[in-house]
Amino acid sequence: MLTPTTPAPWRLRVQSRLAALPRDARDTLLWLTLVGWVVLLQVEHIPLWCSGLTAAVLAWRGTLAWGGAPLPSRWWRLGLLALTIGATLLTHRTLFGRDAGVTLIVVLLALKTLELRARRDAFVVFFLALFTLLTHFFYSQSLLTALGILVALWGLLTALVNAHMPTGKPPLWQAARVAGGMALLGAPIMVVLFVLFPRVAPLWGIPSDGMTGRSGLSGQMQVGHIASLAQDTRVAMRVRFEDTPPANSDLYFRGPVLGQFDGTTWRSPRSRLPVPLQLAHGLRVSGPALRYEVTLEPSQQPWVMALDATPQAPALPGHDLMLTPTLQWVSVKPFAELVRYSAVGHTRFRHGPLTAEVGLQDFLELPPGFNPRLMALAQRWRQEGDPSAPALVERALNELRTGGYLYTLEPGVYGRHSADEFWFDRKLGFCEHIASAFVVLMRSLDIPARVVTGYQGGERNPLDGFYTVRQSDAHAWTEVWLAGEGWVRVDPTAAVAPSRTAGLQRLAMPGGLMGQALGTLSPALTDHLRAAWDALNNRWNQWVLNYSQSRQLDLLKNLGFASPSWHDLGYVLAGLLSAVSLAGAAWALWERRQHDPWLRLLQQARRQAQRLGLDAGPDTTPRQLAGRLQQRYALHPDTPAVTAWLLQLEALRYAPSPGPNANLSTLRRAHAALRWPSPTD
Amino acid sequence: MRPLKQRFNAWLTARLPATDSLALTQRNVYILPTRPGWMLALTLLVMLVGSINYQLNLGYLLTFLLAGSAVVGIHVSHATLRGLTLHLAPPPPCFAGTAAQLTITLSSAQRRARHGIGVAIHGQSEWAYVDVPPQGSGTVTIGWVPPGRGRHSLPPLTAETRFPLGTFRVWTVWRPAASVLAYPTPEASPPPLPSGTPKAGNATATPSASTGEFDGVRTYRRGDPLKAVVWKRVAQAMARGSADLVSRDHASVQSRHELWLDWSHTGTANTELRASRLTAWVLQAERLGQNYGLRVPGHELAPAQGSAHRLQCLEALALC
Repeated sequence: MLTPTTPAPWRLRVQSRLAALPRDARDTLLWLTLVGWVVLLQVEHIPLWCSGLTAAVLAWRGTLAWGGAPLPSRWWRLGLLALTIGATLLTHRTLFGRDAGVTLIVVLLALKTLELRARRDAFVVFFLALFTLLTHFFYSQSLLTALGILVALWGLLTALVNAHMPTGKPPLWQAARVAGGMALLGAPIMVVLFVLFPRVAPLWGIPSDGMTGRSGLSGQMQVGHIASLAQDTRVAMRVRFEDTPPANSDLYFRGPVLGQFDGTTWRSPRSRLPVPLQLAHGLRVSGPALRYEVTLEPSQQPWVMALDATPQAPALPGHDLMLTPTLQWVSVKPFAELVRYSAVGHTRFRHGPLTAEVGLQDFLELPPGFNPRLMALAQRWRQEGDPSAPALVERALNELRTGGYLYTLEPGVYGRHSADEFWFDRKLGFCEHIASAFVVLMRSLDIPARVVTGYQGGERNPLDGFYTVRQSDAHAWTEVWLAGEGWVRVDPTAAVAPSRTAGLQRLAMPGGLMGQALGTLSPALTDHLRAAWDALNNRWNQWVLNYSQSRQLDLLKNLGFASPSWHDLGYVLAGLLSAVSLAGAAWALWERRQHDPWLRLLQQARRQAQRLGLDAGPDTTPRQLAGRLQQRYALHPDTPAVTAWLLQLEALRYAPSPGPNANLSTLRRAHAALRWPSPTD
Repeated sequence: MRPLKQRFNAWLTARLPATDSLALTQRNVYILPTRPGWMLALTLLVMLVGSINYQLNLGYLLTFLLAGSAVVGIHVSHATLRGLTLHLAPPPPCFAGTAAQLTITLSSAQRRARHGIGVAIHGQSEWAYVDVPPQGSGTVTIGWVPPGRGRHSLPPLTAETRFPLGTFRVWTVWRPAASVLAYPTPEASPPPLPSGTPKAGNATATPSASTGEFDGVRTYRRGDPLKAVVWKRVAQAMARGSADLVSRDHASVQSRHELWLDWSHTGTANTELRASRLTAWVLQAERLGQNYGLRVPGHELAPAQGSAHRLQCLEALALC
């Protein structure tokens, strides 16, 4: 005989205890869960002690609620508050600014729960949690973030609704349903406001620490700096080519050019020459034009990532773009938001002077006292072999290919003579070690050379054709100047590790446990899932995060505004608002009307009777009406017809069988044809 | 400032029609933001400014979704009262100093549940909360202490809700037409009942107040209360073989002595104390099962007993 399996006794106990919890304790546990979820979303961005403290406080408060124990005294809270303010000061060195603010608000939220009496303090926790949610957007605006925050908002609304159901112990699903219904009905309002609310420039300057946490390319290059970037799989930009995309090995997106070296750091060239003598870019393109569109994630930098090379300014309304002498497109102000622009690029191009010019001097300078062995090597090469520049470049690349050099993301820390160390001793490094050593060698050989940073490659999503370029695609390559050719791109990393630029092997994605498990089970499925997820994310970026003033104005143009401005947005918004208000007023009027058609007909009859001077209040029945009519107008020729009609009206509603052709429409027609006695008769 | 507000409130309630049944429509349901409501507005503004300053499109989404939900919340809040019918059952009389129980039924014909509706005396903050199920009704009872004895019209009542978000207060003010009758407060330790007075026109009767078999007996008549049966005599009669029942002849007592509770013979000149004492005597006499009559200015109730008589006496005392 089969016996039904019983759940473990502790589970039963917990369930029955949960059901028997007093209302206040249950509501407190709900708030604690929500606070836990809100803080969990933030856990990456707050110090470890803050997460730990929050977890401990929530667990403590939860235990108190579970057992119905009294709350800790005020001194506990004050002591903890002082402690956490001290810890915040120690961690962030300030109490102001974004990061310290986020830490403080999380701490306040956690400590507030220690004096949480579910209903009274609902609003304080609600508002604190909202602010905590908002600060989350400083760090991430991804689709997952949005989903997590949607859940949090639903929960918070549920808890607030529950706090305003004062009777009994209503089940939580009731409050959840009300809250969900409100959010669903509020969604159209959200969409309208989101689409039409004028996007204006920041009202005042953003505090500088708004820029931390979002690494990208920086304007300089130190040994080891790009190593951390290479681990960063966040998306830097997305690119879509309108026609055939170029080969992966041609996908160079040009960022800052670094020409000045002080021995440890490469920086943007700052020429000591007078302006007329400095190099111009002198770009000459050839080959097919490639139309492409870039969606650039917020970089907090003014660099417009453009395909190498893009001769015309990318179309980016609202930003003034210019082309630097080092062939980089830059904007006047940094990009604090997602931007999208389209441009035309050519992968075949020449730039720079064809003959030696004074300006090239800037790209030959080397700091004295660094890398002596590489200098000596250069001296030897010039003496023993072919001293022409192309031959020397080829010889250096050949050395990299065959000299046992290894491409690795963890080359370790380099000393003072980083190029010497790389070239002769360790032979380990990634693009920046390789590029730096290569340029140092070239300059030692009296060949003008410079480092170019940017992004190389990208991953094509087979679903929508978008290339996803991640921070891990950040790259450093070099340009050498050759007489008669100008600047020529040389990627020494490709010589060490051809796969790095040929797109054969990507840097491994650090997947979660789930991702790894999926990857071992079915690599194809993983790829497919990731492609779908990327495509979804891309849509999110295109339609939500990239929704800017220019998109708004485009929308107005489609609506028929000839030259829309943000005033027009205001007009459309005001127009919609008044239309909705009018609809609301109309609905209110409609609701006030009598909806029962039978009662409406009776009401009309009462009004006609009142016009005759009969007593016909709102509680007069048809039969009473008929009686009063007969009393007053007994001899009037129209009276019998009206009386008969009134009795029919009564029969329709109250008679057990009102008759074969008694229905409202015949009655209504009869009513229209009815002649009532007139008072003058 | 205060008198102005009171005067405004008085004017506001005076123009309300007095009715025992009130249907709530858009005309008599009012709505205003609460303090947390203003806080929410401020929060939304801060969130909007933050979104503008940091150019956070997701921040805009969160702000607008919350704003949208709050706007829908206004409607939900208003709809919690709108369409509701309040009905006050006729309040039972009470003694002055105790609370009259006002029973209010809230009924809804709509197919949505209504939560968290509080009912209170207008201007007081002791709320009685009730939920009204879909197409059903809920009942609340609130107490109101009348200011003294007599008939009092009820104070204006108010129904309020802050459901669902507590950001808006939706309320209505209602002037019930019913009145409540307050009997005088019974005196806590009244003097003993006055002795009966000889019946007018029967001066020959002995003024003895003693009772017993000498009161007179007669044969049992149908309808005589059992306590009037003289069981001792019945036992003796049964021993003799007869089965006749014998009753005390109360009429003979009453024909000679009457208990009159008289306004002018209470031993005090204080009007309220008189009313209180008489009330206490009425209750006492009723408890003892005696017949009693009541004389108050402009009103005289012949001696009798029973709850109907008691209520008549109490009413007379309340209104004199």
